[in-house]
Amino acid sequence: MSDSHANLNKGAKDLARCPFPIPMGWFFVDYSENLAKEEVRNVNVLDQEWILFRGESGKVGMTDPYCPHLGAHMGHGGKVCGDNIRCPFHHWQYDAEGWNKDIPYGKVTPPICKKQPILRALPVDERWGMIFCWYHPNGDEPKWELPSIPELEDAENYVKPHRGEWTAATAIQEIAENGVDFAHLRFLHGEKEIPHAEYSFDWPYYNVDMNHGHIVGKMFGPGLNVYKFSHEGVTATMVNYTQPVDRENSVIRMSFTHKKYEEGTKEAMIAQHLVQHMVGSADGEDSAGFEEVDFIVWNNKKYRPNPLLCDGDGPIVQYRKFFSKFYEGSGYSE
Amino acid sequence: MFSIWRLEMAKVKIKDRDGGEHTLEAPNGVPLMETLRDEDMDVEGTCGGICSCGTCHVYVDAAWVDRLAAKGEDEEMMLEAIGEVVEVRPNSRLSCQIEMNDELEGLVVEVGPVA
Repeated sequence: MSDSHANLNKGAKDLARCPFPIPMGWFFVDYSENLAKEEVRNVNVLDQEWILFRGESGKVGMTDPYCPHLGAHMGHGGKVCGDNIRCPFHHWQYDAEGWNKDIPYGKVTPPICKKQPILRALPVDERWGMIFCWYHPNGDEPKWELPSIPELEDAENYVKPHRGEWTAATAIQEIAENGVDFAHLRFLHGEKEIPHAEYSFDWPYYNVDMNHGHIVGKMFGPGLNVYKFSHEGVTATMVNYTQPVDRENSVIRMSFTHKKYEEGTKEAMIAQHLVQHMVGSADGEDSAGFEEVDFIVWNNKKYRPNPLLCDGDGPIVQYRKFFSKFYEGSGYSE
Repeated sequence: MFSIWRLEMAKVKIKDRDGGEHTLEAPNGVPLMETLRDEDMDVEGTCGGICSCGTCHVYVDAAWVDRLAAKGEDEEMMLEAIGEVVEVRPNSRLSCQIEMNDELEGLVVEVGPVA
């Protein structure tokens, strides 16, 4: 086999399912209503366990579970005091940014406590009724902010979002790759044609327009995508905020909404149909939503670092190069 | 290399908190704090040498102050912090930051007060 195709005979034993670390980005943690004031919970996301707590003022903290003092797990017996989490072991307290706020017995506070946070804490942004955290493998500060999503911020004019949740046994990069794999829409999903697509990569954003405005999507880093589906002047919005659970498992989460239309009108029916089609087969259509067809591929595939692509494939190579920048600082490279 | 088999020692003169004077052998390559702690000079060295407890505070004899390696930022900050509870002088040091070597043969220090 020629040199440029030397990887093709690699197979089951040579390929990995998910060779990627956890990418940087803003990621959904939980819905706001699931974390009460003064509650502490353990959450498994981003390939480790964290504690999630909400202070008396409502402020949310997400930190490493293990106390920097002597390693007690603060999600087992820890208590919220004000806006701080208090370790059960010696009652050292930390705020949502990881600063030590109290050591109830030392005469002299270790100077490091005044100099920097000593507990690893993730920046948290709560909006749209959701708790998001910023993750970076080296703990770097956020490199972009969460955007405004008008459809989730205007309860007067948009219907209460309908939510969905699906578990996929693969990494977030693999899931998101389908967003640039236009050809699979024709074959796996059964669309009539490979959609015409215009796209641009503008890290950390990816923009796509399929079939001249029918589907317009924007990715805001690995953890947030907004797709708008339009038909006859009616638009429905899908917000996707997939969570990496660990390196090989993700929870795909979505909210769907559209403008409020009077029940029974044509507009209302189109909007509902559009939402239906985002997930599964819609009435009167032959093509499949992702629910029926994508999982069988995601859950069983392996990652080919050097795929054999042909003309007509989407911008897989550009996408992978773009996505690899989300691993900066992790030591991983394509 | 492998000096753990036959540690070179430097003699140090220690004044304890009661005014008693002692000559101790402090092994090279080891922080002075450990000798003070292990030889019952009433130095706790609680944090083990990371400048977070301030319990190994000593006053270095004037003749020796400039012969020690300079203070690092962490030591400076800890000395400043204990200044709120004990007297810190220009010759104050954390003995965990004084790594012994031959050059320090004859070093004279006084154990600092209890915080």
